[in-house]
Amino acid sequence: MPIGLYLHIPFCRVRCTYCDFNTYAGLGRLHGPYADALAQEVRLLASRFPRPVGTLFLGGGTPTVLSIKLLRRVLAACFDTFAVEDDAEITSEANPGTVSLDYLRALRHLGVNRLSLGAQTFDRGELAMLGRVHDAEGVRLTVQRARAAGFDNLNLDLIYGLPGQTLTSWARTLEQAMALTPEHISLYCLTLEEGTPLRDRVLQGRLPAPDPDLAADMYELADDRLAREGYRQYEISNWSRPGYECAHNLVYWRNRPYLGAGAGAHSSIKGQRWWNVRPVQTYIDRVTAGGATPWPSPAAEDGEIIDRALEMGETMMLGLRLTREGVAEADFRRRFGLSLEEAYGDVIRELVNAGLLTWDQTRLRLTRRGRLLGNRVFARFLPC
Amino acid sequence: MNQSHIRNFCIIAHIDHGKSTLADRLLQITGTISERDMQEQVLDDMELEREKGVTIKASAVRMRYQARDRQTYELNLIDTPGHVDFTYEVSRALAACEGAVLVVDATQGIEAQTLANLYLALDHDLEIVPVVNKIDLPSARPEEVAQEIEDLIGIDAADVLPVSAKEGTGVDTLLEAIVTRVPPPQGDPDAPFRALIFDSHYDAYKGVVVYVRVVDGVLHDREPVRLMATERQVEPLELGFFHPQMTPSDRLETGQVGYIATGLKTIRDARVGDTVTLADAITVSALPGYQPVKPMVFAGLYPTEGEDYNLLKDALEKLQLNDASLIYEPETSQALGFGFRAGFLGLFHMEIIQERLEREYDLDILVTAPSVAYQVKTRDGQVITIDSPAQLPDESTIESIAEPWMRISVYTPTAYIGPVMEMTTKRRAEFDHMEYLDEQRVRLEYRMPLSEMIVDFYDQLKSATRGYASLDYQFDGYREGDLVKLDVLVNGQPVDALSIIVHRDQAYQRGQRLVSKLKKVIPRQLFTVPIQAAVGKRVISRANVKALRKDVLAKCYGGDVTRKRKLLERQKKGKKRMKMVGSVEIPQEAFMSVLKLDE
Repeated sequence: MPIGLYLHIPFCRVRCTYCDFNTYAGLGRLHGPYADALAQEVRLLASRFPRPVGTLFLGGGTPTVLSIKLLRRVLAACFDTFAVEDDAEITSEANPGTVSLDYLRALRHLGVNRLSLGAQTFDRGELAMLGRVHDAEGVRLTVQRARAAGFDNLNLDLIYGLPGQTLTSWARTLEQAMALTPEHISLYCLTLEEGTPLRDRVLQGRLPAPDPDLAADMYELADDRLAREGYRQYEISNWSRPGYECAHNLVYWRNRPYLGAGAGAHSSIKGQRWWNVRPVQTYIDRVTAGGATPWPSPAAEDGEIIDRALEMGETMMLGLRLTREGVAEADFRRRFGLSLEEAYGDVIRELVNAGLLTWDQTRLRLTRRGRLLGNRVFARFLPC
Repeated sequence: MNQSHIRNFCIIAHIDHGKSTLADRLLQITGTISERDMQEQVLDDMELEREKGVTIKASAVRMRYQARDRQTYELNLIDTPGHVDFTYEVSRALAACEGAVLVVDATQGIEAQTLANLYLALDHDLEIVPVVNKIDLPSARPEEVAQEIEDLIGIDAADVLPVSAKEGTGVDTLLEAIVTRVPPPQGDPDAPFRALIFDSHYDAYKGVVVYVRVVDGVLHDREPVRLMATERQVEPLELGFFHPQMTPSDRLETGQVGYIATGLKTIRDARVGDTVTLADAITVSALPGYQPVKPMVFAGLYPTEGEDYNLLKDALEKLQLNDASLIYEPETSQALGFGFRAGFLGLFHMEIIQERLEREYDLDILVTAPSVAYQVKTRDGQVITIDSPAQLPDESTIESIAEPWMRISVYTPTAYIGPVMEMTTKRRAEFDHMEYLDEQRVRLEYRMPLSEMIVDFYDQLKSATRGYASLDYQFDGYREGDLVKLDVLVNGQPVDALSIIVHRDQAYQRGQRLVSKLKKVIPRQLFTVPIQAAVGKRVISRANVKALRKDVLAKCYGGDVTRKRKLLERQKKGKKRMKMVGSVEIPQEAFMSVLKLDE
């Protein structure tokens, strides 16, 4: 079975106020050495795990801050060493307003066939609060350019539950996003992550704390509105036109194997999961030195062994995020050799009674209410 | 030692007025302890005491002092507990002395507990040697404070000794004053042996070691003795005195202070105030003043983790070894599981026990709202004593309920009379009278239900007076009151550990506060949780904890799995620590919310 391959590009022009990802601004001088190290890690992983690649994902950071020349070097390493399937989904994330038509054409030419744009919101004030470098017009322009460059699979990321955001401003953002007719829309409720400037400002009382009940209203509003527009929900935070579900992310939610290359990237394959060191220079040094670690990558910082009980729990925690397919009885039985009933009968009954799960003997899925209370469900399936 | 050359004295002082520093200085000057061995505050050997700045356990140190008359004297310094909860223990320590050094801070003046203990000392006919301490401080006003002492107890201000314990100034003069002013012990050396127990501690090898003052006669090594009140007969393992370490000796003579290692295994067998006699001396009469342990405040102690029950049990057993006033018995709460009902001498005592359990035994414990002991008269004429609201019989069978009242004295600068009056009135206090100590300070006397004092009263008094007020209290008597049990129902179920007994006039207000407090601390659940406060069947306040709508991770991609799973695992563990009442998860802090209703 083909695997997913993730490439992490830990660079941004500016850091956004809510972001806690492994990304750095102002490290331009490291772009070249980093691309080389990334290519080298890809080659090494390919030699250790010679598996066909069904999906490839360039994430960040902002992958498009790298020059086409450097991206070509990285992707070439993938194509040269892994058997990347002909119809592989190849996604790159991009920031609106920062990519030219020429750049997008070249990106498309490199084989990238899906573009994920961080629009976040169309409200000027909210964009400023998030520290985004673009405006609403920049999103429209980038979508136009992407279409002109031949991208027929676009995603827009939006964030809701922002400090001070109202149902009305959220509805306006949604309308403007849908007006651009992307194939895929991701809606993320804001998480105030530890150590981010946005969280600090909320804690200091300089911004109002988001109200989780209002966020729930926003979620339900979006759910109704997107459905009417022909977008199908398939994951807690993801909607798409039929057939345009993100194949790479489905690998994660189906708890299938993937490899991640780059600073801070995670891999999960053959009963082990490991993650790379996060600082860019450390990553470059580790890959270049090529020393041994207990894990398959010289850049690995740490990892964990996933035993059967944990794999079962994680399969539930991830699979139940898939709102339409959920966890299928047949898949579960094939994978673990026992039925969902045998593994979790009591928990399932309790959560069905609480109105959080539906169970038709073939698929276990979250109810509409359960989608907003997923943590209460997931935790019950974890072995601890 | 010639009886006429013995001086037994204690030091009476308010917290922070310098008792420990002065004691250190006395030990140093008399050579009882060398400069090299000088530890700060030798007398307070528990970490906790040092932090609280008070003495919990009494000690008794023997010093040899060569006075200006070239004669050598044996000075016994008996340390007294510095807190109002230990009034009985203080009274027994005073009974072992002929004199008391009254230490007053030259910058602060006399405080309530000092005065209370001073009156106790005067009741015992002790010779008072007054000292103004901290005269080295720039803000010291020794003459004023000396005048205050003269006004209060009639000792000539000229006889008040100026001292700086910190710098050693005036300590020599004080030692001379102890020799010349404090009378030697009375007592008949030829009478049958009698000694007063004024303190004790438990020693793993020697068993219970009692601290005694010999009143009459002589005790020789290995002579069997009897503890009269507890009716224990033992052959002592060792006699001796503190210098400041335990120093064995072959005899204890009339007027002397020392210890007897009894070998007894439980400290309750050697109660403070009891009389030690020779085993064969049947006709000797007991010394006056003995009282059995009488706890005033009760609370449930529960392990936060149910499996720690046995650890808590062991810890309580060990604490009781050294603390005869701590009593406890097993208790089961429907909400909190298995724990103990413990009785304490007072609030401060309860706080100490709680802190020691947490610090010395590393236990996470949950302490329920404290209660007093109520006397319930039932319709069939019985009187039962209950120390927990859960023990209150059905309303219909109750004829009347009586609660303990205290006499309290508040010493405060006159500027705070208003705030003190206001806060005491809210707590059902009855004003008795007011007395001006000087132009700036007054003593306010009240009668007040103990139940009104056991939650937050002292802290509130301190904050209402910016820390200036001090407090003394003692038991007055039981009084009937219009008392009712206030029950709390969570999701329709009564939660026993949240019930409180209150005056009917306060039930409505307390119920409302309790409900709104609980609404804040009980986290939202998957369903709406009604919280109600009720008296009998009548609900007097209610509120709903709205059902939780949203609790879901927005993202979980390849790089998130481990971190997000751990987050969920932590959430799950956190929930395990909550107490399940029916199907509702109640966090530990909810059970403490009863304590903080006035915010």
